Amino acid sequence: MKKRKLFSLLLIICLALSLLGGCRSHVNAPAVTGEESASTADSAYTVETLKLAGGTDWGTPSPYLHVSRGPGQAKMRLVFASLLEKDERGDLPWLAESWSFEGNEYTFTLFEGQSFHDGEPLTTEDVAFTIDYFREYPPVTNSLGVGDGFIIENYRIVDEYTITITVKKANADTLSNLGSFVILPKHIWEKVADPYTYNVPDCLVGSGAYMCTGYEGATGSYEFTAYAGWVNGQQAAERILFVPVSDELLAFENGEIDIASMPADLKDKYMNDPDIGFVEKADDMGYKMLINFERLPEFLDLPLRQGIYAALDRQSIVDNVFRGMGSVGSAGYVPVSSLFYNENVIKYEYDPDAAKELLGEKGFGISLLTDDSADGISIAEIVKINLEAVGMKVTVVAVDSAGRDDRVNKGDYDFAIVGNGGWGNNPPSYMRTLFSDSSKYLSTSPASMGPRGYSNEELTALAEGQLKETDFEKRKEMFKELELLVSQEIPLIVLANQSSYSMYRQDYYDGWMKTYAYQQAEQNRLSYMAR
Amino acid sequence: MKRIYAIAFALVLLVLLFAWGLLFYPMDSRLPSGGSLEAPSAEHWLGTDNLGIDIFAQISSGFFHSLSIGLATALAAFLIGGVLGVAAGYAGGRTDMLVEFLINLFLSVPQLPIMIVAGAFFGQSSLNIICIIAAFSWAPIAKQVRARTMSLRKSGYLVLARSYGGGLWYLFKTHMSRDILPLLAISSLAVTGRAIVQESSLAFLGLSDPLAKSWGLMIARCTAFKGIYFTNFWTWWLLPPVLSLVLSTLLLRLLTRALESYWLEKE
Repeated sequence: MKKRKLFSLLLIICLALSLLGGCRSHVNAPAVTGEESASTADSAYTVETLKLAGGTDWGTPSPYLHVSRGPGQAKMRLVFASLLEKDERGDLPWLAESWSFEGNEYTFTLFEGQSFHDGEPLTTEDVAFTIDYFREYPPVTNSLGVGDGFIIENYRIVDEYTITITVKKANADTLSNLGSFVILPKHIWEKVADPYTYNVPDCLVGSGAYMCTGYEGATGSYEFTAYAGWVNGQQAAERILFVPVSDELLAFENGEIDIASMPADLKDKYMNDPDIGFVEKADDMGYKMLINFERLPEFLDLPLRQGIYAALDRQSIVDNVFRGMGSVGSAGYVPVSSLFYNENVIKYEYDPDAAKELLGEKGFGISLLTDDSADGISIAEIVKINLEAVGMKVTVVAVDSAGRDDRVNKGDYDFAIVGNGGWGNNPPSYMRTLFSDSSKYLSTSPASMGPRGYSNEELTALAEGQLKETDFEKRKEMFKELELLVSQEIPLIVLANQSSYSMYRQDYYDGWMKTYAYQQAEQNRLSYMAR
Repeated sequence: MKRIYAIAFALVLLVLLFAWGLLFYPMDSRLPSGGSLEAPSAEHWLGTDNLGIDIFAQISSGFFHSLSIGLATALAAFLIGGVLGVAAGYAGGRTDMLVEFLINLFLSVPQLPIMIVAGAFFGQSSLNIICIIAAFSWAPIAKQVRARTMSLRKSGYLVLARSYGGGLWYLFKTHMSRDILPLLAISSLAVTGRAIVQESSLAFLGLSDPLAKSWGLMIARCTAFKGIYFTNFWTWWLLPPVLSLVLSTLLLRLLTRALESYWLEKE
């Protein structure tokens, strides 16, 4: 009897311990809760909290651990600051108060008094350290290049706040690249030998306007708190919360989140509501279909790819999946609404009869990889119906979006549908990583991954050449030339672009913005700053 | 008995309706035949989904998809549960211990999480779904059959028949089957109903063939449509698969219950 009691007691202790252990399983101390903290009446912040839909794990918001897609990158960039930032019109100071350049030399002067989240001062020593560290260990989001492609030749620390960086060859994107790498605290990372697995709380001691004060991967919850030591302006919210919601729209209606994407079918309902504000993202989301030429070399034959275009009723993707909000993809890749769009690109019409002729009697059997989102599966279903109508045999494989990305990166697919935001970026610098043979595999994200087993010297020359052109109009012309060539050569199939709106209650918070280069209001740092 | 006929009649009507939908209804369940999200009309009885594919045609084909998975699962559970149950109950000893252990193992592990992991691991196909559901359906059947066999084994006529040298197959065929087969049949029927719901759950979670026209998948695709509850699309896109699922599993369950009580009464 005594033994049994003892055993039960042991069991209870074990249970209690395992529960405690469970509570500690995430990286950072406080878990995210929806509760409001005690408010200070004369708060310097525009609003106390901004709440957004969470629910997806975008990784620990550190430069080495975040998920390579936009939402993961954006969270990291709240915590870690770069030298420059962008607004609606151009570049503006972020950690650097001023900058200048001449030839290959770029000089940045930091704001005085800026510190890291642990209070240590941020100086040019940290900037220099970060450059060396990134040269050795490229971060997930990497604007500096890798290996021989590392754009920085050397640097010279002028004083505590001024640093001159010399690049190997200045080009149109150099300032943007130098302005966007994030600064690491030297006193923490100099002791870290393997940053890719460094996952202790001080990997989140950042240089940004917000501190990460809560992260729970399993629920996709994040909490960011304004950092009092930030010197360049005032944060708009004391806290930013990403809370898991089951239905984004219901959560928005119930006031659980402050910004949400607007479903196309409810455009009238919300557009007529004077309390709702919008950020339009024209054609910013896009879907392409990659062909793995390593596995299917017969598709290197151009008429077959023309046949695929002719087989696809891409308008039905816009009408049925995007419910009318979007446009058929331009075969030159850059979407129709872009400043850089070339109206002379070849337009492939839906023509199943022509497709049958071009594809011949071979009856290709392929597997089609997609993500398991509602839109991803619907698009795959349309593609399957269309291709089977012209005699191909298509097996759809749907996996979660991270799994799809992983397989695309590894080349484990025949045909793959990849959707991503950022097609509306200005300039469309993604054209380089998509179509230049020498830059194709630099990225870890399939969003900017080019076609496998395909190479084209002419495309590469143009895609790399535009970078060296600093004259805006001339560069635009080069992009247009590149688009025309892409539409003729068809390295990949552009399916459709989706336009969308982010909507928010403007009486609560009106600061959501898009930059001249990037349209996702939820991911832009300036959306969270008082301006 | 009357109740059994009434329920069976309702089930047959349901099967006939969906069979008509599958064979004679002019719309295809896989290809678009109208505009996106058309409301129900004379042409499209239950309207169309977002890709313009007829809902009634999908429901009909979904019924046979679900039913065939349910029946295949039931057959597998019938065979595995029957053989193991009879073997354990009759042989006793180590065989019984082993089977009992297996039965308890499969009864005690949480089904859904393991099904989800297995589904994710083995990939998206209907055959995998059948195997996974069957693996978790045979244990209750085997448990019942085992108990029944054990009690039969001790009955006088069986002891006598055995002492005359009757083999297991002979004993089962002539003396045990009329007791055990009805039990097996009714339990398997119950499995059919459960399998339909489980298949829908797995499909809803994205673990079946992603483009299969199954009810669970229809529900999943509809509920994933942004803002569905602020439009009236759900009335013809979401309700039909939900109601069909409820109605068919309810009828199967009622039939099982009625058969069970009929059989008990007869005993």
